[in-house]
Order: sequence, then structure tokens, then C-alpha cells
Amino acid sequence: MISLFLPGAILISVLLYFNKSKIVNYTLVVFYALFLLTFAVYQSFHLNSIELGYFKSDGLGILLLLTLSAVTIPALFHGYRYIATHDESKKSRGLFFAAMTMLITAIGAAYLSNHIAVTWIFVEITTLCASVLIYHHRTTAALEGVWKYVFICAISITFVFIGILFLSLSLKQAGVEDLSFDALEKNYAQLNPFWLKFAFLFIFTGFTAKLGLVPMYTAGIDAKDKAPAPAGALFSSVLMNLGFVGIYRFYAIVARTEILPWANTIILIAAFLSIFVATVYMTRIKNIKRMFAYSSIEHMGLVMLGLAAGGIGVYAAILHIVLHSFVKPSLFFQFNQVYRVYQSKSIYDVGNYFKYNKAGAIALLLGFISCTAMPPSGLFVSEFMIFQSLFESHHLIILFVVLLLLTMIIWGFGSNIFKLLFTPPISIDETKIPKISAWESASQYILLAIAVYLAYNPPAQFVHLTKDAVNLLPQ
Amino acid sequence: MVSLVLILVASLFFTGIVIRTKSLASGRKGSGIFQPMKDIFKQFRKGSVYSSTTSFIFQIAPSFYFASVLMAILAIPLGKYPGLISFQGDFVLFAYLLAFGKFFMIISALDTGSSFEGMGASRESLFSMLVEPAFFIVMGSFALLTGETSFHEIFSTLHYGSNISYLLGGLATFVFIMIAMIENSRMPIDDPKTHLELTMVHEAMILDNSGFDLGLILHTTNMKFAMYGAIISNFFIGDLASMYTIPIFFAVQIGFAITVGLIESFMACFRMGHNPQFIFILTSVSLLIFFGVLLLLERFV
Amino acid sequence: MTDILLIMFAMTLLYMSIANRLLTYIRILVFQGFLLFGVTFLELSHINVTNLVLILLETVVFKALAVPLFLNRVIKHNGITRVAEPFLPNFVSLIIITLIIVITIVLSNSIKDINLDKTFFVVALSTLFTGLYIISTRRKIITHVMGYLVIENGVFILSLAVGNEMPMLVNLGIMLDIFASVLILGVFFNKIGDVLNDPDVNQLRNLKD
Repeated sequence: MISLFLPGAILISVLLYFNKSKIVNYTLVVFYALFLLTFAVYQSFHLNSIELGYFKSDGLGILLLLTLSAVTIPALFHGYRYIATHDESKKSRGLFFAAMTMLITAIGAAYLSNHIAVTWIFVEITTLCASVLIYHHRTTAALEGVWKYVFICAISITFVFIGILFLSLSLKQAGVEDLSFDALEKNYAQLNPFWLKFAFLFIFTGFTAKLGLVPMYTAGIDAKDKAPAPAGALFSSVLMNLGFVGIYRFYAIVARTEILPWANTIILIAAFLSIFVATVYMTRIKNIKRMFAYSSIEHMGLVMLGLAAGGIGVYAAILHIVLHSFVKPSLFFQFNQVYRVYQSKSIYDVGNYFKYNKAGAIALLLGFISCTAMPPSGLFVSEFMIFQSLFESHHLIILFVVLLLLTMIIWGFGSNIFKLLFTPPISIDETKIPKISAWESASQYILLAIAVYLAYNPPAQFVHLTKDAVNLLPQ
Repeated sequence: MVSLVLILVASLFFTGIVIRTKSLASGRKGSGIFQPMKDIFKQFRKGSVYSSTTSFIFQIAPSFYFASVLMAILAIPLGKYPGLISFQGDFVLFAYLLAFGKFFMIISALDTGSSFEGMGASRESLFSMLVEPAFFIVMGSFALLTGETSFHEIFSTLHYGSNISYLLGGLATFVFIMIAMIENSRMPIDDPKTHLELTMVHEAMILDNSGFDLGLILHTTNMKFAMYGAIISNFFIGDLASMYTIPIFFAVQIGFAITVGLIESFMACFRMGHNPQFIFILTSVSLLIFFGVLLLLERFV
Repeated sequence: MTDILLIMFAMTLLYMSIANRLLTYIRILVFQGFLLFGVTFLELSHINVTNLVLILLETVVFKALAVPLFLNRVIKHNGITRVAEPFLPNFVSLIIITLIIVITIVLSNSIKDINLDKTFFVVALSTLFTGLYIISTRRKIITHVMGYLVIENGVFILSLAVGNEMPMLVNLGIMLDIFASVLILGVFFNKIGDVLNDPDVNQLRNLKD
């Protein structure tokens, strides 16, 4: 169905851009969400089918596609609320929704791609759409954010391309010309390990810009800070998953060759440094949105630790990214309302949120508990499994230090959130605070509930898809 | 013996051609070709004035300078004829003879006690230090290419086969021309016309010399130019018969002189602070020459 | 003959490290474009003719003509001063770039693969690292863009090394080129010039914690 989905989605984006009427806009957006959902469900019934030669709907792709369609619905809804409360012009509204739908389409297509060059093309398209979204409010700070984002992503994309070139060098010996993941999997024994190491290094470094690991994570922080909150939510969840997919599919091939221990070391170093960096910033940060962004980095660091540790860690890693895609957007969506109340992102200007928006405050509290992986959060299950896999693979020192760092992160995160929720600010003008209806927080409760449900009582289909994704790696 | 005579002959008219080219390029007719030699003879007839703050170093340094360059010329071959001093590794002796002469000029400049001359001396020593690796790397690359280590054998066994060797020959010529410009403190490193602190290197060192010593120093500059011209002409002569050697030699010398004149007429002098990196680029280019030699020898597969 | 062109390419890198004025950077980029045109013509002569013509056109038109013209226009339009302001003195830059080239030569000497043409590998890798170095040691935003263009030239050389068997990769590299140039130069640089009066990277330091 992808040959139907891609042109259809592009058509919808183009129509959204050119169209000026509100009703048609919102109808198109709703139609797009339903279209995406249909596509995801259809693909889930056709496991492991190859379409157009370059797209394969395997377990990982379908899982992430279903997550994408589930997160799109509240994202588009909150986008609509954002536009409505910010009183945007018709042109910027059209541009916003066109960019959102194009971004989601590109991410969905990239999840399913079977060829490394096709993934690369779609990642470039996501950079383009994301930069439009970041520059939505045309302020100087947004310009700075978008410039940094575009520049670092351009360099990262170049690195991925260099990795692809080295990959084709390593294939020369095998005499194979096809760069699709299936062909690479079949011929893994003939890949020249020396060039494969270079290829892995460059592709990994390039994709860390999207995934949010050391060294290229800086682009994402500014992006999530400056973009409107619904877009920021997408950047923090499904776009990071795109980085994960890019690395994971390549890692699945590397895992069959002899350079696996070396690759694992590289991933361990990058993941550990990411958690370290996240800790350093989380304990000193004053901007709430950036705090959420650094928390995403910490989670991705944990995911990659699980991947590198192996064993049950791989299952935990995939479970973690799916659950994280439900938890993090809820925090970002709630942030919109926080901003509407206080008109500021800084921790010094906020406080006593319970008084102004009870439903939202409870959602925020539950979101904090979920994000720091305390039970009954869904993330507790996956993080516990990651720690278990680290223990089983004898990385005890890393486990110990990471637990310490996570404690510090919980402290940093918690002190900011509790200040936001309970402590009154220095000075605030109570008459200026708008009334926020409780229904706007409803989507966050639903997202958090889904995360809990998927962790503690997952449906059989979900487990089956996750196991299928894990089976990409050799056992 | 042949090369010594030819270089001394060439040094007589070299500077004259440079000055003539510069004049013609600015639209004037210019002085005659032997005018600089006539100026030097005029200096020889004058008496020298020695300052009371100087010691015996100041009096003997110009002679040492002249003698060292003359001895260095003895090492240079011409095509099939080796120099009077020719043994394995003689290009190292060549470089250190030049350094010996320069050392004496530097300490004689410091001997006068003038800070101006000290400044000139420090600049001269810095530039020579930066140029030295370039010279050694180029000669070393060619020694590696031909497998011999004396001037005469390197140049007589050098022959140009593939495209890369032409490129290397061209690059080496460029490097040597630049080395000659730097060692003689011409443009674009230093402007010999302006006696200003901003652009003086060599001129500052010899401010206090006069008379016979000054004549010696001026003629040494001519001889150094002719010497470098001889090395460059060796790249072109190779192993030809003697009836081609001498005309090619003079053609290269005249061509070199005209090139120097043109460079001096059309390029502005560099800012003094930018000189070190310009000089160091010669070392980097000579590293590329080394890389090219490795490619040629296929030691680099 | 390609070896000669590649050695001349390495010399342009050295020259770039000591260049002072922005116009010199642009001239070096034009020269690099022409060198790449020559290398492409000599290397890829046995692929499909239309593909070859396309790649040749792209090298000349894009790298040697369109992008430098555009850079010139951007410099004039934004009134950027003519001097590139480095953080490190030029002498140190020259030494570092020479070291980069030497280390790349030594590194590639230890590779025992016969499938790869070593000169391509050395020049591509040194161009890549030189581009990264230029980005990190220059103060102006426009020199960041020029550093990125140098990186792209390096990637193009690397894709030529493997492009004989897989011309699709060279095409992809060209697409990357066009995408990056259009996006970075066309859309955003003009916007930055309009908003910030002094295109100094220090102005973009406000976004931190």
C-alpha cells in the first residue's frame, strides 16, 4: 500500500500548504491521521512483504509505524490547539500543518525502507521539514536554532553518506552491488571487516544527530527547544526512533560479522557519555523545555546501552523506545499549557501550578513519574530489563555509574518539576492567567495509560512484533 | 671546474638583468646590464669605516660570507661535469656551508650593537630556519627517486618518464625559485628598494658595512642568485651532451633573472607577519613532492 | 594524470589554510571545482554517456560556477567584511593541515587493500578533515559554509573512488550537494544576513543553558 500512501500523503501536504480555509484544513488533517492509521494497520496484516523493491514491512517497521500513527493523533490535535490559541495567519498555519504531515510521512516511509540509501533520502527530507517547523515563529532565537540544526544535520547526513561509500567499498570484495539490507544480510560473510568498521563508525556518528547521542546531540536540543511543542513532541519521540532504526538495521548486519565486540564498545562509549552529558545539564538547567530534551537524550543513552549489552537488552531497548514515544510527547503537550499559564519557559517564573490547572498538574506529575521510570510507569519495566541485561553481560561498573547518574537526573528533574507544581513563584500577576480547560489534558492521560498497558499487560500481537524485531539480530 | 667558471660568469650579469627587467616593466629604459658590477667595483675602491663598538668579527665576517658561498659553488655540478667537490651526501655540506656564512653575517650584525640590525638578523635567521626543511625534503625526495646521494649523480640519473615526474620537476623548480627569493631577501618576502623597518630583512643586517666589505657582500648576493640558477638549470639539463649544456645553462639563468624581475615588478610585498606561513608552505609543498616520489616509486600502493 | 590533479587538489588545501580574504576562499573553491571536473572526466569515462554528461555538468555548473557566484552575491548583499577571522593564527593552521595530510598518508600506507586507489583515499580523507578544521577554527558563519563545501568536495572524491562500479552513489552524492547548497545557502543564509547585522558566530551563542 505504500505506493498509494506516499503520493496520497504528499498530495495532502501540498493541499494543506496552499489551502486557506480553516474547515478544509482541519478536514484534511483529520483525513491524514485516519489515512496513516489505515496504512499502519494494513501493513501489520502483511508482515514481511516487500513493496516497490525498496520497502519491507518487517516487525520493527510495523511496530514503529503503529506507534507513529498512535502519536500522530494527539500531535495533530495539539497542533490545532496551538494554532488556535496563538492566532496564526493563514499562511503560517498552512505551512505548519504541511510540514507536520510531510515530516510524519517521511518518518513512516523511512521506518519501512529496506535499502540504506532510501533511508538516507528520507532522513534528509525530515531535516528539511523539521527546519521549517523550528522556524515557525520567525524570531532571532528560532533562527539561531534552525541554523544550528540544519548545519549539524547536514554534516551528519554527509557522514552517513561517507559510511555508505565505505560500505560499498567493503562490498567490492563480495562482488555484490545491491545495498539493500536483505542482500547485506545474505552476504555478511564476505564483507571486508576493515572497511565495515569505518562504515559503522561513520554511519553511527551520522545517525546520532537524529537519535540524540554524543557527539551530534546538540542539534536536537535546540530544535526541541525552539519548535512549537507539538513539533517538539514529534522530534522527541518518532524522529529519535528514526535514528534508532537507521542504526539498528545496520547493527543487525554488523552483529553477524566478527567486528561485533568492537561495535559494541563504540556504542557503549557513546551511550555512557550521553547519559553523563544529560546528567551534567539536567542538574543545572533552568529552561523546562530543554530539560525535557535532555531527558530524551538520557533515555536514548539507556536504549543504546541495552542494545550493546545484548541478550534481553535488545528486547528491552525496543520496548523502551516504543514506551518512550508515548511518555515523552505527553510531557511536551502538557508544556504548552504551562506556557500559556506563565508565558515563560524559565524555572524561575513558574510555580504553584496545582492552583491554576489541577488536571494538567496531575498529568504533569504522572508524566514525571513515568519519565523517570518509577513504578507504575511503563518505562520501569524496560529500564529494569536493561539493567538486568547489563548485569548479565558483566558490565558491572557501567551499571553502577549509570545508576548513580540516573539518581542525579531524578534529583534534577524532580526539583524542577516540584518547584513548578508546588512552590509559588516570586511574583506573578494572577489576573493575567487564562483558564485552561481540563479536557486539554485528556490526551496525556490516555498516552500515559497506553504506556502502562503496553508494559504490564501487552497484547499478544505487540509481543509478537517485538520478538520479530529482536530476531533481526542473530541469537 | 666548468660549473665554477660558468656560475661566476653568470653572476656578473644576473642582477643587471633583474634590474633591467624591472625598469622595462615600469616603462623606463633602465641602466645597463653591467651597471651593478660597476657599482661593486666602485665600492671595492673605497675605504671601510669600522665603528668603535665592533670587534674583529665585524671585520672578518664579510670575507667569511663570500668564501663560504664560493666554496658552496664548488659543489654544484653542471650536467655531465661534476663539481670540484663531489662525494656522497655533498648536498648536506652545501646547505651547511651556506648556513656557516649566514651565521657569520648574523653575529656581525649583532656585533654592531644596533637594535635595528639585530631585528634584521632575527628575521633573517627565522626565515632561513623555515626554509631549510623545504630544501632538505626536496633534495631528499630526489635522492630517494634516483637512489644516489650526491648532487652530480642525482642530476645525471634523473630522467623524466611519466607525467608525475614532470609535475615533480615543475614543483621542485617552483620551490627552488622561492628558496632563492627568500634566501636573497627579495620580493615578496622583503623589498630591497625600501629601507624601512617594515620590510627590511637583509638590508637591515648590512647597514653598517661600507667599502670593500660592502662590495663583497653585494657580489655574494649575485653569486647566490647564480648558484640557485645553476641548481635549477640542472633539473633541465640532466644528461645531455656538452654542446647543449652551456646554452641551456645560460638560457635558464637569463630566464630565472627575468622571472625574478617580473615577480618583483608585479607582486606586492607581503605583510611581515604573513611571511612565516608563506615560507612554511614551501615545506608543505615539498612534503607533497615527497608523496609524489613515493607514488612514482610505487612504494605507496 | 588523475594523480597529478589530485596532488594539485591537495595543494589548494594548503593554500586555503593560509588564505586571508574571503575572495581567495571562493577562488580556491572554483579551482577545486575545475580540478574535480578533470578528475571525473578521466575516471568515469566508461559509464553510460548520459550519466557522465550529467555528472560533468553538475561538477562544472554547480561547484565551479553557481555556488561561488552565489557566495559572492551573499557576501556583497550582507556587506560581510573581506577578511576571514580565524581563532588560531594562520601559521598554526598551516602546520595542522600539513600534519593532517601527513597522517592521512601514513594511515593509508598501512591499509593492505588492493581494491582502493590510494591517492583518492588520501586526498578525500585529508579534504574531509581540512573542511572540519576550517569549520571549527573560523569565526564567520560564511566560512562555516565554505568549510562545508570543502567537505562535500572531499566526499565527491571518495565517491569517485568507488563510482566506477556504482554510479548511483555518485548521483546520490550530487543530490546531497544540491540539497545542502540550496538549503543552507539559499534559504537560511539570506535570512541570517537580514536578521543579524554582523555575521559573526559569536552572535549565535545565545542559545545555551
